Amino acid sequence: MLSVVDLSKRYAGASRALFSGLGLAVAAGEIVALIGESGVGKSTLLNCIAGLETADRGSICIGPRATDVVRLDEAARAALRAQHIGFVFQAFHVLPTLSVEQNVAVPLLLSRVPRSEHARRIGTLLERVGLGGFERRWPASLSGGELQRVAIARALVHRPALILADEPTGNLDPRTAGEILDLLLERTRDQGAGALIVTHSQHVAERCDRTLLLTAEGLR
Amino acid sequence: MRRLAWWLIAAQFRTRRTATLLSLLAIALGVALGYAIHLINDAALADFARAMNTVQGDPDVVLAASDSAGSVPLGVLDELARDPAVEVVAAVIDTRVRVDGTATPLRLLGIDAFSAAAVMPRLLPRPADDSPAGGILGGRVYASPALLEQLGLRAGDALTLRRGDRHWPTVVGGELPGTGAGDRLLVADIAWVQAHFGPNGAVSEGRIRLTPETDPARWQADHRPRLPVGLLLRAADDEGRRVANLSRAYRVNLNVLALVALLTGAFLVFATQLTAVAQRSTQFALLGVLGLAPRMRLLQVLLEALAIGLPGALLGLGIGYALALAFTQILGGDLGGGFFSTSSPLLVPRAAPALGFLGLGCAASLGGALYPAWLNRRQPLAQALKTGFAQNPGAHGHRFWRLPLLFALLVPAAFGLTRLPAISGLPLAGYAAIAVVLIVGVAAAPWLTRTVFGLLSRRSLSPPLQVAVQNVAQAPLMAQVAASGLIVSFALTASMVIMVASFRSAVDQWLDHVLPAPLYLRSKGTPLPQALLDAVDRADAPFARVERTAHGSLTLDAQRPALALIVREIDRRDPGTRLPFTGPLFDAAPGEVVIWISEAVEEIYRLRPGERRRLPLLGGDIEVFVGGVWRDYARQFGAVVIAREDYTRLGGDFAPTDLALWPRSGDEAEALRWLAPFTAAQGLEVSTNGELRALSLSIFDRSFAVTHALEAAAMLIGLFGLAVTLAASVWLRARELATLGALGFDRRMLGRAVMLEGLLIAAIGLLIGLACGLAIGAILTQVVNPQAFHWRMPLDVPVLALLAGVALTLAAALLASRHAARQATRLPLAQVLASAQ
Amino acid sequence: MDRRRFLVTPLLLPGFARSAASDSPSAGAVVYAEVEPGRKLVFPRDHGAHPDFRTEWWYVTGALDEPADSGFQLTFFRSRPGIAEELRSPIAARQIVFAHAALTLPGVGLRHAERAARAGLGSGLSSEDCDVWLGPWRLRRLDSPAGEFLRLQMNARDFAFDLTLAATRPLLLQGRDGYSRKDAAGDLASHYVSWPQLRVSGRLLYDGKGREASGKAWFDHEWSTRILGSGAVGWDWIGINLADGGALMAFRLRSASGATLHAHAAWRDAAGRLRQFDGPEVVFTPLRNWQSARSGASYPVEIGIRIGELGVRTVPIVDDQELSVNRPARVVYWEGLVRVEGSLSGRGYLELTGYAGRVPLAAG
Repeated sequence: MLSVVDLSKRYAGASRALFSGLGLAVAAGEIVALIGESGVGKSTLLNCIAGLETADRGSICIGPRATDVVRLDEAARAALRAQHIGFVFQAFHVLPTLSVEQNVAVPLLLSRVPRSEHARRIGTLLERVGLGGFERRWPASLSGGELQRVAIARALVHRPALILADEPTGNLDPRTAGEILDLLLERTRDQGAGALIVTHSQHVAERCDRTLLLTAEGLR
Repeated sequence: MRRLAWWLIAAQFRTRRTATLLSLLAIALGVALGYAIHLINDAALADFARAMNTVQGDPDVVLAASDSAGSVPLGVLDELARDPAVEVVAAVIDTRVRVDGTATPLRLLGIDAFSAAAVMPRLLPRPADDSPAGGILGGRVYASPALLEQLGLRAGDALTLRRGDRHWPTVVGGELPGTGAGDRLLVADIAWVQAHFGPNGAVSEGRIRLTPETDPARWQADHRPRLPVGLLLRAADDEGRRVANLSRAYRVNLNVLALVALLTGAFLVFATQLTAVAQRSTQFALLGVLGLAPRMRLLQVLLEALAIGLPGALLGLGIGYALALAFTQILGGDLGGGFFSTSSPLLVPRAAPALGFLGLGCAASLGGALYPAWLNRRQPLAQALKTGFAQNPGAHGHRFWRLPLLFALLVPAAFGLTRLPAISGLPLAGYAAIAVVLIVGVAAAPWLTRTVFGLLSRRSLSPPLQVAVQNVAQAPLMAQVAASGLIVSFALTASMVIMVASFRSAVDQWLDHVLPAPLYLRSKGTPLPQALLDAVDRADAPFARVERTAHGSLTLDAQRPALALIVREIDRRDPGTRLPFTGPLFDAAPGEVVIWISEAVEEIYRLRPGERRRLPLLGGDIEVFVGGVWRDYARQFGAVVIAREDYTRLGGDFAPTDLALWPRSGDEAEALRWLAPFTAAQGLEVSTNGELRALSLSIFDRSFAVTHALEAAAMLIGLFGLAVTLAASVWLRARELATLGALGFDRRMLGRAVMLEGLLIAAIGLLIGLACGLAIGAILTQVVNPQAFHWRMPLDVPVLALLAGVALTLAAALLASRHAARQATRLPLAQVLASAQ
Repeated sequence: MDRRRFLVTPLLLPGFARSAASDSPSAGAVVYAEVEPGRKLVFPRDHGAHPDFRTEWWYVTGALDEPADSGFQLTFFRSRPGIAEELRSPIAARQIVFAHAALTLPGVGLRHAERAARAGLGSGLSSEDCDVWLGPWRLRRLDSPAGEFLRLQMNARDFAFDLTLAATRPLLLQGRDGYSRKDAAGDLASHYVSWPQLRVSGRLLYDGKGREASGKAWFDHEWSTRILGSGAVGWDWIGINLADGGALMAFRLRSASGATLHAHAAWRDAAGRLRQFDGPEVVFTPLRNWQSARSGASYPVEIGIRIGELGVRTVPIVDDQELSVNRPARVVYWEGLVRVEGSLSGRGYLELTGYAGRVPLAAG
């Protein structure tokens, strides 16, 4: 589902590479936690995998056809993301000017899922993330936990091969965090997607199938 | 995808209602003004052309005299009539007569019913059913329905036509059913007109219809060399071209003003969309992360601009039509320009121009959104998602070093453009120079902002001021956005104010010179009666001095409107006391014919003072000496003054139409009483120097009334832009302001900082706008006006008016800033801080 | 002269103009010359215009051999309506000139054109000799070493001709030495000169192509002040160049009932002997009518004429030679090329008026 080989990234002007020669793989249905200290490059790795940043070397193959992200241009990466990747962020990034239902619909629109399926998929998923009846609500009226539920629904609605999550529970109180994590893992497994979850939380890491530790020296 | 785009547009309209609506209105305003001007002018031209078509008919070629004193001899007509390539020659005598009881002279057309039927069918009369013997050939006169109604006459009624001392008592034969509702015309048989009013043995024009297989251009070329001196052949289309040429420059100028409104509208869209992009940078980044194609981030912004531009332009078309209706009712079809005398022309909107203006509105909106769209496309996703909008995406180190280079290129370019001549009679290079000045002004804004406020921020200032200064210095792009609309609108407004003020003071001084006498008596085109001319010369007449003037016309180029020929009693050796010369006077040899030409003649026909040229005068080809060039604001198409003695020496018949009168002992009242019997009987008009002057200036003011509306519109749009951008920048910097709040700024101090910031930006914008305005004002007075209208004038900067404008704008900017400041004080500081990490 | 009278002036066709001297108030200003018997006509002076008389026409018809069976017609009318008589202007509408021209082309059709102008403005007349022009149309008499000839020039949108008509026989002075009576009492009369057997050469232009033309033409010149009685609704007229070199002219004026008001004929045989026939000696009998689909009028295009002991009948080359004159008023009549058979044979023109409703002549 995801295979990263010999990946290197160095920022312009930086004295040394952020990371180099990284390799990792996430199988279908596997949920992998990525932990490490601040500044070690977890988010950058995640961004590289998502094609938001460009790695200097190596390959990142994603999806059923193992498309190499590193070799794609910007538009193709956007298309790849739309098709095969679902995102959950720490800061509940939800479009404030769109309703809950519309927010969840965005990936469907971007990945060209037939219009006839939209309502059913959105309805089902909102039900499953516990937001049944929230369809017409505006993000401004939602709590942090509810926003993250919207984000999870949005990450899964187009049935991506890979879920990328960056501290999905970082901004939530412990009890809500637990619920959200349960939801994320459960739903990801439901769909048989692979997931890579960047986290500081040992608790989160323990719930995953496997844990990778990123240090200045590399992945362990 | 379309669905998503639509959601985002809808969201944009919902959440940024005011700014979006203002942008939409600005576009609407620009389109409305342009469209209204177009509609009015189009209608006036069509009306004019229709009226002209009624009179002229539909000939292929017109044979006419090249000056008003000349005429077409019958022999020439007969010779042309025998040409097998000529289907028919319709002879016409075109003259002006007075009818008892009307103030203005009426046009009397003498036609030959036999040939007129083929060429000018709309001039054919319909005899009244009970018409007794005679008809048109029997010497009856026919009038357009409008004129019959005005005169209160019916078929069979007697009326007397007068021209100078000649009169013709005749009978109304009926009406002219082919004439338009507004036409005021008399038609009679050509022989009867000739017998009573001349010209002897000749006619005014021969309107020639050629056989279908004849090429009119070639036929003209063949016949022109064989034509007797003093006659010209011109294509009938030339007449239409002359009509269009008549008002073209004025029309183009008005349209440029409308474009200015549109341009400021585009700036408002620019400001709105740029702030919209900045505000939504995180959202767009999120959409990008979710897989929105980079192209779509660009298109989305353009689409939103179109969503503003299209309804704006549609609204503009509607408003424009309404404006046009209102204007034609109030000012008439020439927008106060004095070109057409028709009352209220009928507006006929056609599809092509409407679509054109619709497109222009959309283009303005899209143009304004181009840069914001590009910026949006270039936002780095991951970074924007975290830290928000990047002003200079992908740029490390600023490109300000390029600015001096830009200026080094643009400023000389602007100068160079002002030196270029007019292109097909239009000051296109001048307009381009104005555009360059505006670009320089807008481009200079960030540089100037950074420099001035960078310097200021190093001084110790009160905390709010310090914050404001630093903000402006650090975010020059936002300052540019806020200032650019103001720069453009103030520059254009200031330049119009400068131009109009310069023009008005020039006209004022010119009037001093051209109206030396205390009293003027004018007949508006028909010769003055001999009894009056004799009476004013008698010893008992209460006048110390009388100067007579006769008016004619002269065609040097068949495609241009005729020149005015003014025959004056003027001292050949000292014409400077009567004409406002702009350069040196040249003395002619004693036997020579001297003419003094207006600036327009010098420029259009390339006549130079001091040179000898042959002119078509009095039906001949006469060598004349150009004695000097004088300034004339009255006749845009040129005027030639000739002394009476020269004119009569050439064999001209001096038939005065105007008198300049100096009453004896300054007693104007006595003089007016003395003149009363003449004026009452003849429908002549007597005005004092002061009345003429007031009339002239009021016409002047009226003709510039529209420009004031445009100035106001431009300023309003500029201020909208400022308000929108300031408000948006507060929102953008919410975190920063919240941090300041956390550091101990209270809400009042925050508000004051924001307000000060707005004022500082406005001040910069006004400063640059004023500088650009002065430059554009100079271009308008020194380049555009001379090229478009051949009106030259000294630059006269109305300092007080401009300062008042600055003060007013600053006050308005203060209001706009207060609006922004209020938003700053309402920021939920804690929440903003909490949401930032 | 009243306006309507003036407008129908083009209808004052050869032999059948009528007097309108008595009716118009403004006509009181003009005193027309009167046609008098015994006046000696002098040529070429009398080929020229006679502006003192009320009406005058020069009328040329011709039957062509080349193009075969074709015919042409060119007429100039002069009318002095009696208006603008005192006006001091060289272009006063004292003399009005009308002209019309027609071409009969079997298989192609009938072409027709007309013009009008006042003398002095796009038109002129000579009083010295035959020279009348209207725009580019012109009819002139000229002399050449080979003899006298007429030159005819006209052009219109769909046809033009430029023809030379050479004299082969002397002039034929109609009536008594050119004094031609139009009623039995002698109140109405004209000066009437014919010139038969003119040899035609020159060119025709139609359908964009020029063609040589040859054949025989007939020239009429007639002027008068009072020519038509009040009871007439129309007239029949022929002018025939006989195959043997002779000439035959006949006319009758018809009343509303179709009765003949006055008739006359002249026959000059090949040897040049002239015989004149009057009143009961000349009898017109319609033999076959052709009905026009356009106007609905029925014209006796085949007409039998008994002239003394002679009997002839007309046979039209083309039935449809109906003309519609629109300027200045619309009048419909039949005028065209015919063959004449019977005691005499030849070709020439037949004119039939007053069949498409009463010719709109004002009552005298």
